[in-house]
Amino acid sequence: MSVPQPNPALRDKYAIAGTGTSRLGQVPDVSSLGLMEEASANALSDAGLTAKDIDGLLVRGPDDIYTFHQVLGERLGINASFSTTTTNGGASQILSVILAVMAIDAGLASVVLCGFGRDAWSRTHRTEQARISGATRSAAMDTQEFGPEYGLFGAPAMHAFGARRHMHEFGTTREQFGAISLAFREHAQRNPQAQMLGRPLTMEDYLAARMIVEPFCLLDCSLRSDGAGAVIVTSTERARDMKQKPVLIKGFGTHNNLRGWFDGDNMLRTAAGPSGQRAYAMAGLGPKDIDCAQIYDCFTYMVLTQLEDYGFCKKGEGGDFVSSGTLALDGALPTNTSGGQLSETHNEGMLQIVEGARQLQGIYGPDRQVPAAETCLVSGHGGNTVCHSSLILGAA
Amino acid sequence: MAKEYTKPLPRPAPESEPFWAAARDHKLKIQKCRSCGNHWFPPSEHCPECLSADHDWIEASGRGRVFSFVTYQRLYNKGWEGEVPYVVALIELDEGPRLLSNLTGIAPENVACDMAVKVVFDDVTPEVTLPKFTPA
Repeated sequence: MSVPQPNPALRDKYAIAGTGTSRLGQVPDVSSLGLMEEASANALSDAGLTAKDIDGLLVRGPDDIYTFHQVLGERLGINASFSTTTTNGGASQILSVILAVMAIDAGLASVVLCGFGRDAWSRTHRTEQARISGATRSAAMDTQEFGPEYGLFGAPAMHAFGARRHMHEFGTTREQFGAISLAFREHAQRNPQAQMLGRPLTMEDYLAARMIVEPFCLLDCSLRSDGAGAVIVTSTERARDMKQKPVLIKGFGTHNNLRGWFDGDNMLRTAAGPSGQRAYAMAGLGPKDIDCAQIYDCFTYMVLTQLEDYGFCKKGEGGDFVSSGTLALDGALPTNTSGGQLSETHNEGMLQIVEGARQLQGIYGPDRQVPAAETCLVSGHGGNTVCHSSLILGAA
Repeated sequence: MAKEYTKPLPRPAPESEPFWAAARDHKLKIQKCRSCGNHWFPPSEHCPECLSADHDWIEASGRGRVFSFVTYQRLYNKGWEGEVPYVVALIELDEGPRLLSNLTGIAPENVACDMAVKVVFDDVTPEVTLPKFTPA
């Protein structure tokens, strides 16, 4: 059986023409849909478009809102020739961009809005009861057996199994996970939108933080946030006539280890490996050609393994790689330059696409801009910890 | 009077009933494909290796190793009130399949990846028995 490979003829043919976010962090008086409206309006305005200019809508919201794209379309006052709600968890947002390219290339749409919005903080942090019920999804979605009866709850534990095994096999340490947390927190100090702005972090703070599910402490876990993000995808040709400098879609890939996180080596060698290889091949680039990265950081360990899986260092050497200042804005691979989900806002990776695009548009001041950034790798991971999608963006 | 059991109980899918029925009899049973010999867990109708529907429920050795584990330091469910910290372990059975469980007879700080374990049975209610594991 031949291994599927994305078509390199699509390289640079499509682009991101606009980006937008809603208010981020703690936004108590607006729903997921309201946040998504706000981000959509901002992305359209950024591109110099109105809602009537889009004919594709590929979005994701909370899992308990049925056909999120339909309800959003109703609010945006549009019909669409191509639209759906994606359900690959944190891998969904890049998947939406990929589906947008596919749909446009197939003639099913021409200008597509991709986005994600969720009122996760409002749902889970207003009260302690809300936290324990963790109601970002409906109770009907809960696991029925082989987990909860043994006390397995929540995303931190699932990812912590991988962290623990990585520590066992490769000698990875908590301080190395901490180096990731610290690097992104430093970036958040340069981002006026970041939830953790004004709260810098030291290794002493990290090691003193309360444990959640060992080996993870609070600072290994991403934030709970209200927020939404959106990007506009269209042909590069059309994007050149729009308001912003287009950001080229150079390569993409996906891979989903559907046999599960607990199967084989999946928690040590994630789906980022084959997904990334596809994206590199389509873009005609390798890890050494990447100027900055926005890596899906639901938990610190997931950044470490993905950096290995994407070939920035060898498997097992991620701990040393992240401890040497590599991820800093002036490091060899500036990573999660907005603060990421650990320190900006958790938005299931949508804001990482936005950040990657904006870095390549070169819109930031010297305190936040990656100098001369020509390429950015963005990753998305989720869907019971096994679904992955990769995007390589390039400056036009 | 026995203290009320407040932790969640399994709500088995139809395919899983034989597993839980065996556990009540203090047996750890998993599926074995009659066509290709594959052992698998969690339960399903067809062998995930060859898609044959022809399988037996066999009694596993009950021996395995801790592939990985996590230690809860925060209360997620009131059923564990007063029992934090507790360990959830991913057990790899000698037959190959992995399953989640708890460890008994060992303090959380002494648990390690790859340690050898064997099954024990915890009759948590008159109707429900949970297979758990203890150092072998």
